[in-house]
Amino acid sequence: MNEANSVLRTFVWLIPFLPMLGSLLIAIGFVSCKNRGESGESQTTLIANGTAMLSLLIVLAVDVHAIVIDIPGYLNLAQWFSSGSYQVNLSFNLDTFALVMMTLVALISVLMIRFSVNYMHREAGYQRFFMIMNLFMGAMLLIVMSGNVVLTFTGWELAGVSSYLLIAYVYDRPIATQNATRVFITNRIGDAGFIIGIFLSFHLLNTLEWTEILNKADSLSPLGSNILAATFLLAAIAKSAQVPFAPWISRALEGPTPSSAIFYGSLMVHAGVYLMIRLQPVLENSPIIMSTLAFIGLLTVIYGVFSNLVQTDVKSNLIFSTTSQVGLMFFSCGMGWFELASWHLVLHAMWRAYQFLHAPAMMHLMVHKTRPVNPILKRQGWLYTASLQRFWLDPMADWLLVKPIKRMAHDIECFDEKVINRLVGLPEQTNAITSIADWEHQKNRTQTSADEKEQVTRAQGVAGKILEGLADMLFWFEEHLVLKSGGEGLLKLLNLIGHYLLQIEVLLSQPRYLMLLIIATFVVII
Amino acid sequence: MHSLTFLLLLPVIGATIISILPSQSTLIRKTAIITAALTLIYATSFILGFDTSSSAMQFSKIVPWNIRLGTSFALGIDGISFPMVLLATLLSFIAIIASCSITDHSKGYYLLMLLLEGAMLGVFMAQDWSLFYLFWELTLIPLFFLIDRWGGKRRSMASLNFVLYTMGGSVFMLLSLLVLFDATPGHSFAMDAMLEGARALPRETQVLIFLGFLVGFGVKMPIFPIHGWLPLAHVEAPSPVSILLSGILLKMGAYGLIRTAFMLPEAVLSLQTFLMVLALFSLIYGGLLAWRQSDLKGMIAYSSISHMGVVLLGIAALNMAGITGALMQMVAHGLVAGALFLLIGLLYERTHTREITDYRSLVKITPRFAIFISLAFIAAVGMPGTAGFIAELHVIIGAFEQWGWIVLLVSIGVMISAAYAARTMGRLFTGPAYSGSDRSLSHSNMNNISDLQPVELFAASILVFGFLYLGFFPGFALDLIHASATHFSQLFVAIK
Repeated sequence: MNEANSVLRTFVWLIPFLPMLGSLLIAIGFVSCKNRGESGESQTTLIANGTAMLSLLIVLAVDVHAIVIDIPGYLNLAQWFSSGSYQVNLSFNLDTFALVMMTLVALISVLMIRFSVNYMHREAGYQRFFMIMNLFMGAMLLIVMSGNVVLTFTGWELAGVSSYLLIAYVYDRPIATQNATRVFITNRIGDAGFIIGIFLSFHLLNTLEWTEILNKADSLSPLGSNILAATFLLAAIAKSAQVPFAPWISRALEGPTPSSAIFYGSLMVHAGVYLMIRLQPVLENSPIIMSTLAFIGLLTVIYGVFSNLVQTDVKSNLIFSTTSQVGLMFFSCGMGWFELASWHLVLHAMWRAYQFLHAPAMMHLMVHKTRPVNPILKRQGWLYTASLQRFWLDPMADWLLVKPIKRMAHDIECFDEKVINRLVGLPEQTNAITSIADWEHQKNRTQTSADEKEQVTRAQGVAGKILEGLADMLFWFEEHLVLKSGGEGLLKLLNLIGHYLLQIEVLLSQPRYLMLLIIATFVVII
Repeated sequence: MHSLTFLLLLPVIGATIISILPSQSTLIRKTAIITAALTLIYATSFILGFDTSSSAMQFSKIVPWNIRLGTSFALGIDGISFPMVLLATLLSFIAIIASCSITDHSKGYYLLMLLLEGAMLGVFMAQDWSLFYLFWELTLIPLFFLIDRWGGKRRSMASLNFVLYTMGGSVFMLLSLLVLFDATPGHSFAMDAMLEGARALPRETQVLIFLGFLVGFGVKMPIFPIHGWLPLAHVEAPSPVSILLSGILLKMGAYGLIRTAFMLPEAVLSLQTFLMVLALFSLIYGGLLAWRQSDLKGMIAYSSISHMGVVLLGIAALNMAGITGALMQMVAHGLVAGALFLLIGLLYERTHTREITDYRSLVKITPRFAIFISLAFIAAVGMPGTAGFIAELHVIIGAFEQWGWIVLLVSIGVMISAAYAARTMGRLFTGPAYSGSDRSLSHSNMNNISDLQPVELFAASILVFGFLYLGFFPGFALDLIHASATHFSQLFVAIK
C-alpha cells in the first residue's frame, strides 16, 4: 500500500509535466534549427506524440492503481514556495472525479494530437502548433489534477495562453490576431475573479488546498461563502463562455480545426463546469449564487439555441450547440444536480470532439439542402434579428467597456504627450531615426537652425529649464564678475597702475622734480 | 642616500641629463619617459615598506638647514601624502607619454615637466613648512613657462592670470605661516613643532590664521569665488599639462588644507558650517557651469571645481567617513580628470576643435576613443564600479552624519554631472556621420580621425584600469589611508 503510494508519488507529477516537457523540447529544437521545415515534422511528431502518449500511459496506470488498490486521493509532493503563513504546495488531488477527468483529458488530447499529425501536414507553423497543443494538454491536466487553487490557476492561465496562441495561429491575418486579443482579454476578466478567489480563500479559510477549502466551507459566514462562490463563478462563466461572456467562443474558431475541437468543443470550455463541480460544498452554502448559476445557465441555453437556429455553417452550428450544452451543465449545477452535470460533461466532451473532427468531412456527406428558417423565428421577426445579431452581446460590451476605455487611454496618451513629456523634457516624438526621409528631415532642420552652438546648452522639461536658467545666470556671473573683473580685470588694473607708476618715475627722474622733492624733504625735517 | 630624497631627486637628475643633451636629439623624449617611469616604479616600491597601521610619518629624514631661522630639510610620507605621491608620479608618467605631439622646443618642455614633477613630489613629502612653501612656489615656475610657451591662443593671459592668482593666495599663506612661526615656542618651521604652537593659540587667532591658509590653498583647490584662474589655465594649457594641473596641482590645495586642519582643529571646527556652504556652492556652481560650456576642455575644467567641492565637503565633515571620502575623491578625480584631459587632448590634436557641436558619430569613426571617453565620463559621474562612487558615497555618509538632509544638494550636484556627461556623450558619439556633401563645413576631415594609437591606448588604459580597479576593489586604497583618516577624525572627536 505504502510502496504503491510512493511509486505513485514518484510518477504522478510526470502526467502534466511530460506534455509540457515535450512542448519545451519542440521549442528548443526550433530555436536551434533542428526541426524546422518539412524534414523536421517527423521529429516534432515523435516528441509530441511520445510525451502525450507516455503521459496517458501514466494516467492509465494511476487509474489501474485506483481500481485495484485504492483511490490515491490527496497527494502533497513538495512545497513550491512559501512566505510567512502563505504556502503553496505541489499537491495533487486525485479523487474519483479528478481521475475521470484526467483520463478524459489525456485521452482526447492524445487522439487529437495524433489526428493533427496528418491534418497539419505541410502547414506553416507545424512545430508551433504541436508545441502549443502539448502545452495545452499539460495545462488542462494541471487544472483537473491539482490539489490547490494556485496550481489550478497556473494551469488555467497556461490554457488561456495556449488558446490565445492558437487563435492567432495565422498571425499574419489581422482578424485572427484581433480575435485572439479579444478572447484573451475577455478571459482575463474571469482570471481576475479567480485571483480574488485565491485571495479570499487564503484570507477567509487560511488555506489554498482544495480539500481543506471544501472541508472548511461549512464554517464560512453566509456573506463570505457568497463572495467566494461569486468570484469563482465569474472565473467559470468567463472560461466556459456563458452569458454575458458568450461571444468570445465564436471568435475563437479562427484557429485550426483540431485545436477548436480540443479547446472549445471538448476540453477548455468545460473547465468552468469542472470548477463548479469541484466547488460543490461552497456553492451549496450560498443559495443566491446557486440560483444565479442556474439563471446564467438558462440564459446561455436560450442564447445558444436561438443563435444556433440562424447559423448556416457547420463549425458555428457546433459551437453554438456546445454553448447551449455547457449552459445546460451550469443549469444542472445551479439546481444542485452535480452528479448529472459531471456525467453530462464527460459524455458531451467525447461526443463534441468527434463531431468537430468530423465537421470538415460533413460537407461531403450532406446530401439534402439547407434547412429553411425555423417557423418560430419566421413568425417573430425581432427574434430572428436578435438571433442573427447574437443578442448584441458583442456591441454591448464594446459600447459599455471597450470604447470608454479606449477613449480614456487616448486621453491619457494626449495628457502624456502634451503635459508630462514636456514637463519631464522628453521629445514629443521619439528621437530615433526610422527612415531615410526622417534622417534628411532632421539634417535639414539642424542645418537651418541658425545657432547650433546654442543647442548644446538648451534643455527640455521643467528640471531642464531650471538647470538652464541657473546655468545661464551663473555663466553671466562667471563671465562678468569672476573672469572679466577678476582675472582679466586684475591684469588691466595692474597695467594701469604700472603705467601711472612709470609716469611718476619719469617725472621724478627730471631734475626739477628731484630738487623739489629734496627741498620738500628738508622742509619736513626742519 | 635617504630613500625619499632620492625619489625627490630622480626627476631632477632626469632634467639635468636632458639639459646637457643636444636640443634636437630623439633621446630627450626617451630620457624623460624613462625618468618618469623609474620615478613611478620607485615610488610604487614604497608600498612594500609602508606600514598601513600607523598614522605617523614614515621614511622620514630631518636635516637642519638654517638653524637661526629654524628651517630644516625634512621629508616623510604618511597615509595622506603617500597616495598623492603615487598619483603624482603616475600622472606625470602619463602626461609625459601623452606629450608626443610637442615637437617645438621639446628639450625645454620635457625639462620643465620633470622639474614640475620634482616640485610636486616635494610639496607632498615636505615635513617642514618652509620647505613646503618653497616647493609650492617652485611648481609655479615650470607651469608658467609650460602654459606660456606651449599653450593655446590666449596662453599669455592664462599663464599670467594663473601665477597672479596663486601668488596672491600664497601671500596670505605666508602671512599665516609667519604668524604661526612667531607663536611657536622654539621658533621653528618644522610641521610638528608648529602644530604644537598653533594648537596652544586662542581660538580667534587660530581662526584668522586658518582663513589665511584657506585663501592660499583655496585658490589652488579651487574654491568659489577664487577659482578665476582655473578655466582659462586649463583650457589654454597644452593637454599633458592640463592632466597635471587638474590631476595633481588641484590636490595640492586640498592636501595643504588637510595639513592645516591638523594644525588648527579648533578653527576648522568653528568654521565648519562656512566650509560646508563653500563646498556645496562650489559643487553646484561648478556643475552648472560645466553644463553650460560648449568647449570640451572648459567643461572638464568646471567639472573639476565641482569635484573638488566634494573633497572640501568631505574635509569639512570632520569625521572618519568624510575624510576618507575626501582622500578617495582626490585620487579618483586625479585619475578621472587625467583620463578625460588625456583623451580630449588627443582628440583635439587630431581635429583642432574643442567645440562639442563639431563632433558627431565618433562611435563609428573612432570606437576606441568612444569607449574610453565614455568610461571616463561614467567615472566622472561617480557610477558604482568606479573610484568616484566609493569617494562620493563616503563623503555623502560623512556629510549626512554631520548635517543630515542637506546632503541632498550633493545628489543634485551628481545629477548635474550626469546631465552634462550624458549630453556630451550623446553629442560626441551618436547622430548621423558627416556625409561627403557637407562642403560648407570644414568637417571633411571629421570622417578620417585616426583612432587611439598603441602608446595612447596604453596611457588611457592605465588610468581607466586605475579608476575601475579602485571602484571594484577599493580595499587597498582604503587601507592605505585608514590610519591617517582615523587619526584625523579622532582629533575632532577629542575637541568636541
